[in-house]
Amino acid sequence: MYALAAAALGCCLWGFYRRVRVYRRGKPLDRRDHIPRRLWMALRDTLSQARVLRVLGPGLFHSVFFWAFLLLLLGTLLVFIQADFTDPLFEARFLKGDFYLGFSLVLDLAGLVALLGLLGLLVRRFVLRPTGLETIAADYVAHALLVSILLTGFLVEGVRMAATEIPTDPGLALFSPIGDLVGRAFTGLDPGRLASVHEALWWVHLVLGLGFIAVIPSTKLRHLVTTPAKYFFADLSPKGTLATIDLEDDSVEQFGAATVADLTWKDVFDADACTRCKRCQERCPAWVTEKPLSPMRLVLDIGEVAFGDSKVNLPDKIGEDAVWSCTTCRACEEICPARVEHVTKIVELRRDLTLMQGAFPGEEVRLAVENTEVNGNPFGASPASRADWAAGCVSPPSRNGSPPDILYFVGCYASFDHRSQDVAKSFVRICHAAGVDVGILGNTERCCGEPLRKLGNEYVYRMLAQENIEAIIASGATRIVTTCPHCFNTLARDYRQLGLDLPVEHAATFVDRLVRERRVALQPSSFDVTYHDSCYLGRYMDIFDEPRAALTASGGRMVEMRLTGKDSFCCGAGGGRILADERLGTRISSRRVEMAAATGATLLASSCPFCLAMLEDAIKTTGLEENLRVRDVTEIVAERLEAASPTDGIGDGHEDPCVRETGSGHGVPVRRG
Amino acid sequence: MESRFVADDAGTWYVEQDLAFRLNEYDTYAVEQAILIKEQLGPDVEITVLSIGPDRVVEALKRALAMGCDRAVHVQDAEVHLKDPWQIAGLIAACAQPGSFDLILTGMQSQDRGSSQVGPLVAELLGYRCATTVVALDYADGIITAKRELEGGERAIVRFSTPAVITCQSGLNTPRYPTLPNIMKAKKKELLAIPVGDLPAAQPLCVTTSLHPPAVRTGGLVLEGDSADLAAQLVSILKEKTTALQ
Repeated sequence: MYALAAAALGCCLWGFYRRVRVYRRGKPLDRRDHIPRRLWMALRDTLSQARVLRVLGPGLFHSVFFWAFLLLLLGTLLVFIQADFTDPLFEARFLKGDFYLGFSLVLDLAGLVALLGLLGLLVRRFVLRPTGLETIAADYVAHALLVSILLTGFLVEGVRMAATEIPTDPGLALFSPIGDLVGRAFTGLDPGRLASVHEALWWVHLVLGLGFIAVIPSTKLRHLVTTPAKYFFADLSPKGTLATIDLEDDSVEQFGAATVADLTWKDVFDADACTRCKRCQERCPAWVTEKPLSPMRLVLDIGEVAFGDSKVNLPDKIGEDAVWSCTTCRACEEICPARVEHVTKIVELRRDLTLMQGAFPGEEVRLAVENTEVNGNPFGASPASRADWAAGCVSPPSRNGSPPDILYFVGCYASFDHRSQDVAKSFVRICHAAGVDVGILGNTERCCGEPLRKLGNEYVYRMLAQENIEAIIASGATRIVTTCPHCFNTLARDYRQLGLDLPVEHAATFVDRLVRERRVALQPSSFDVTYHDSCYLGRYMDIFDEPRAALTASGGRMVEMRLTGKDSFCCGAGGGRILADERLGTRISSRRVEMAAATGATLLASSCPFCLAMLEDAIKTTGLEENLRVRDVTEIVAERLEAASPTDGIGDGHEDPCVRETGSGHGVPVRRG
Repeated sequence: MESRFVADDAGTWYVEQDLAFRLNEYDTYAVEQAILIKEQLGPDVEITVLSIGPDRVVEALKRALAMGCDRAVHVQDAEVHLKDPWQIAGLIAACAQPGSFDLILTGMQSQDRGSSQVGPLVAELLGYRCATTVVALDYADGIITAKRELEGGERAIVRFSTPAVITCQSGLNTPRYPTLPNIMKAKKKELLAIPVGDLPAAQPLCVTTSLHPPAVRTGGLVLEGDSADLAAQLVSILKEKTTALQ
């Protein structure tokens, strides 16, 4: 028996050793900092099953099964410890008395619960067969083993009880109700037969159990080890952090990931830890609009290459169209029960396409990128006209000599896109109503570089970032506010990697605070509104409540969409897709406005200029113009500023700029025209 | 590129402040074609890229080096905008002594002045063959077969031997986007700076006397009535007042 157990354990360890060797085909990456915190995360997320339970149906069956199975494992371990260590060595028996009664009852019921949980999972996988759920040969092995282990467990118990408790101590047998039930079927057998049947069954149960241990590494069962390990090795940096590239090191031959060796060990490990639960796939805006990207398939493809011919070119294997289809919306990572990091992998693949091959998802993207390089904005508009939108607003309370209260990083859309310029003006109006002095960088502001970075163009991103950081520092700004979640993420998190260390905030939280602190007075008027969570404000930055609070304060009655908050559905513009035409599949944005229209609300609020542009466009193409309007939260709030506010006068003929350009020496209002 | 052009004080050029500059589009086809020929013929081919202008043209030269040119020559001239095509061609010819280059590729025209004269004038000064507005090019054993774009959508195929000057039209190729390793390598490539004063100066053959935005036309004509009537009115106006329907 011990030899068998050692063999099974050895088989398990050897299997994992071989897999770890494959993980090591990836580059080094340090995920061993903050060990206590990591241990806590691993323990918490594993035992609570919190990530599995994000999808209630199958999540509940899985969790119930997990908890019950864990109890059975612990119980078996206790029996093992008593029978093989404490009893023979010290004659110490702890499985006795009332504790044993409880122990017996708990394990017996756990067996039943595990069987029921497993049954639920079996019915789902093999009878209901939800679309997208792939079943491979190893899944049959894993499920068969689990079922037979549980069944033989009850048989062993029942036969034992038929010979012992049931005839001798029926009161005790009541503490093993299932075993009691099974055992009664065997009470007709004579004690000798029972003993040999029990021994045979015990061996079958043992062999099955050891077989289970042996096949863990080579079947989906390895997630028993890999998923807790994934929780332990989770990325502790702020969500959305991408690795920077050393642009000074000219010995580097490869940027981004062309092969598995260009990824990190964690990426290969991720692929091996994927349990094919397809939760990412069914939430992927690209996949559900019939594009060739499945985040699950992409991760599995990486695994296939890593465990097969690891020289294979990854973008070829996965398909360039799939790699370009990602909107980096992060729905996949948010839902993944195993904490697979999909987006960083996709950006690494894009870095190979962009930086090594000069590839683009389309000619229009190439034009936009080249425009951004030359003009600092993807539209190719003259950089000198960047602050034109600000002319004609009223002047703020003059505080010459001091830097403005906030530096408003306007972003390309609010600077140049006529529709989004209204958002910029609304934001400034709210600030002025609250007595907040607003500065802008004016002509020295450039694209923040976010779309380019997500397309893999780290080089141009870095040039833009460097110029912006220099301009921001030269402006003397002490805090920054953006109206664009993409600028917000980039300045608040990505520029920090490059040395910018100022507080950065999105207008949604800034305006909400002005309203809450009653620094602006609103005249609410009641309206029904549904709010579209921008991926980069919601999932990336966990800002869900503030924009809704601002809408409510304006008189809005919130009607939520089917997919909202953390489960929000992308507008299709993230990941640099704002620059690209959507040629494959159906329109992501159309899908989203249909969800918005289904709420019955006539107003769709957003907090992102990309969402605004995409959703507004989709409303036109889906013929919903009569039913639905899109407005930015700041526009909705600005409209309800009390008329008495001192600065209510956009377009009233004043020619003073509403904001101060702080690019060239702060404090002096600059007149343009 | 959308920009607001303002005439300078002299009224002969525009104010360059606040403008963004990039490698002239037609020149990108020339650079790409040179690199394609090098890729075809092998590493023995050496590509020199040349630009005349103020310091900002170094960025354009670096872009060409990052695309795959081997070395760059910057003729430093802060007042290049005052030179006419004849003078520009003279400077290029002075840098490209006869015999030193087998093939000279230029853009079909520049995007600012748009004279289309520099390429043919360089050919003339060097005594080279010349094909303009080339949209397809094949090189084999010193023989070039080029497809030229003519007026009215016609095409002509010409064949000639090197040395030659080619001016490149859009459609010739799709210029590559420089890869990061090539951008890094380009930083180490030779970039020779020659002050324009070191080169022989020619007298201009034509001088810009005035540069100004077109006069603002007075208001358009708004036609009214039902659609059939409108169409008839439009056709008659087009016939009488324009050459659009002739």
